[in-house]
Amino acid sequence: MAETAMELINVKKTIGSKEVIKGLSFAIHKGEVFGFIGPNGAGKTTTIRMMAGLMKLSDGDVRILEKSIKSDYKEAIREVGAIVENPEMYPFMTGLQNLSHYARMIPGITKERIQEVISVVGLEKAMKEKVGKYSLGMRQRLGIAQALLHNPSVLILDEPTNGLDPAGIREIRMYIRKLATEKNVAVIISSHLLSEIELMCDRIGVIKNGELVTVQQVNERAGQKNLKQVQMEVSPVNQAIKLLKTHYHIDAVQTEAFLRFQSKKENIPALIQTLAANGISIYQVGAAKGSLEDKFFDLIGENTIG
Amino acid sequence: MGNFFNLIHNELTKIYIQKATWVMYTILAVVIIGAGIIVNTADDIKVSYGEDTWRAELQEENEQLTTEMEGEEFLESINSPLIERNNYYLENDIQPAGYGAWNFVMENSMLLSLVSLFTIIVAAGIVANEFRWGTIKLLLIRPISRTRILASKYISVLLFALFTLLFVLIWSWIIGAIFFGIEGWNPYTVLNKSSGVEYVSIISEIISDYGYQLVNLIMMATFAFMVSSVFRNSALAVGTSIFLMMAGKSIVAFFSDRAWAKYILFANTDLSQYTNGNEPLIEGMSLSFSITVLLVYFVLFLAASWGVFKQRDIAGH
Repeated sequence: MAETAMELINVKKTIGSKEVIKGLSFAIHKGEVFGFIGPNGAGKTTTIRMMAGLMKLSDGDVRILEKSIKSDYKEAIREVGAIVENPEMYPFMTGLQNLSHYARMIPGITKERIQEVISVVGLEKAMKEKVGKYSLGMRQRLGIAQALLHNPSVLILDEPTNGLDPAGIREIRMYIRKLATEKNVAVIISSHLLSEIELMCDRIGVIKNGELVTVQQVNERAGQKNLKQVQMEVSPVNQAIKLLKTHYHIDAVQTEAFLRFQSKKENIPALIQTLAANGISIYQVGAAKGSLEDKFFDLIGENTIG
Repeated sequence: MGNFFNLIHNELTKIYIQKATWVMYTILAVVIIGAGIIVNTADDIKVSYGEDTWRAELQEENEQLTTEMEGEEFLESINSPLIERNNYYLENDIQPAGYGAWNFVMENSMLLSLVSLFTIIVAAGIVANEFRWGTIKLLLIRPISRTRILASKYISVLLFALFTLLFVLIWSWIIGAIFFGIEGWNPYTVLNKSSGVEYVSIISEIISDYGYQLVNLIMMATFAFMVSSVFRNSALAVGTSIFLMMAGKSIVAFFSDRAWAKYILFANTDLSQYTNGNEPLIEGMSLSFSITVLLVYFVLFLAASWGVFKQRDIAGH
């Protein structure tokens, strides 16, 4: 297994009398893009704030390259670059002034390095403009630039594609992948956009009510490729479920007038014939949406995603 | 240590890059020019006295002042100190130096209340604004302890006060020199003090005038800084600090019959109460007592800022 870049050990956070984070433990490896998803209020941002040193841990520890954020704060945080929520900058300073400001806070960042990150995020033209005049997308890029200044081993990005146009999203996505593969950076991304996460990440951690529900390998899907999520509109639904169960041992789930189940592609025609032969009316048959979304909904329950 | 200078560099950049700061300096510059014009047009300012004729000139002045006083009774409190001063020159046979740049600088020491006001505004914003802009998050995810960040901010406030003070001194001197000329490099003048009329060096007078007011400035700026970092609200910090700065004396007067009144900060901020034979505000107070009280308040303010800032979880707005 790859080297561990960041490790959370039984991290807990109590705010007031409420336990918001109830003992999170997971590790992120070097060169990996880790997606962090969960419904609103699940504790994503709180966890990210603890990882970045903005919030104190009530219990447990965060280790970055084996340095504890509690006892070895400076050494640990030196390895972290982050955007937490919106990338807020000083609106009355230019992009370059903002970057120079953050560059001065860490020793050893040269002017060349600043120019390098500027060209990485493609903001050369806007550097002399005041950040107050930037679009959200430009600020997002500037946010990524400041997070990269000191060549961190761990990059934490809260909603990194928020406010970017499709081309921008694609660019950032490619860049994040490149950072992970070429520079061996561990990237942690939180997002609401499941499809985004699915495209970018190697593994995904799902958090709900302050607990880690599951960690999924995104390419696990490859192994299940011949299994399709099928969605059918049929009537009567109950009878169709029974038929599927008795003939094919399939556990179908009913959502309103729809049936959902997993099946091999080659079985689908036979399956439809069986249903039709038994007097079931079939209105439509289709592939259900991305498997991740299903998994996500299965794990956290529907309608809870914000 | 180089790192710490960088932090101060950052903080000062953020202060001086904002337009509001330049508005403050413009106001100071304009007020000083205005004061110069007013003093210049006032006809009782004498730029210089003749080598041989100064005695006659002073006597003439005195006569004029006396006649004025007979006409308008309210002028007595203004004119009689002037007469006393002129008599002092005559009695001690000192040729009075004319009004010059240094006199103007000395009289502008009241502008320090404006410097205090601006320092309070800067101190009130320096922590609170980072929260308001949301930039506090990006500031605190650096490998720098929060103590150092807070210290760099506090020192930057003091540096701002120092630079602004120097600006007032130098600009006043320049304007004074343009309007009234320079009367030597170590001029003396006669001043009415509570202990009587005295012949003093203007420069040492400038140093003590400005110095005594600096105590109040630093205490109020530190107070604003504390409110700023504890409550993260710059308006609250500006409001309470300015209110206390204005009302401080009245607060002390209101409670003056209580035993604990001498422990009120504002009973102690004016250290000049112990000089020149002045009576302390409340009986039983001494210079060392006041300095101790000031230090206790100072440490309390800074400890409160630090304690809260160090422990705070940076959560959403």
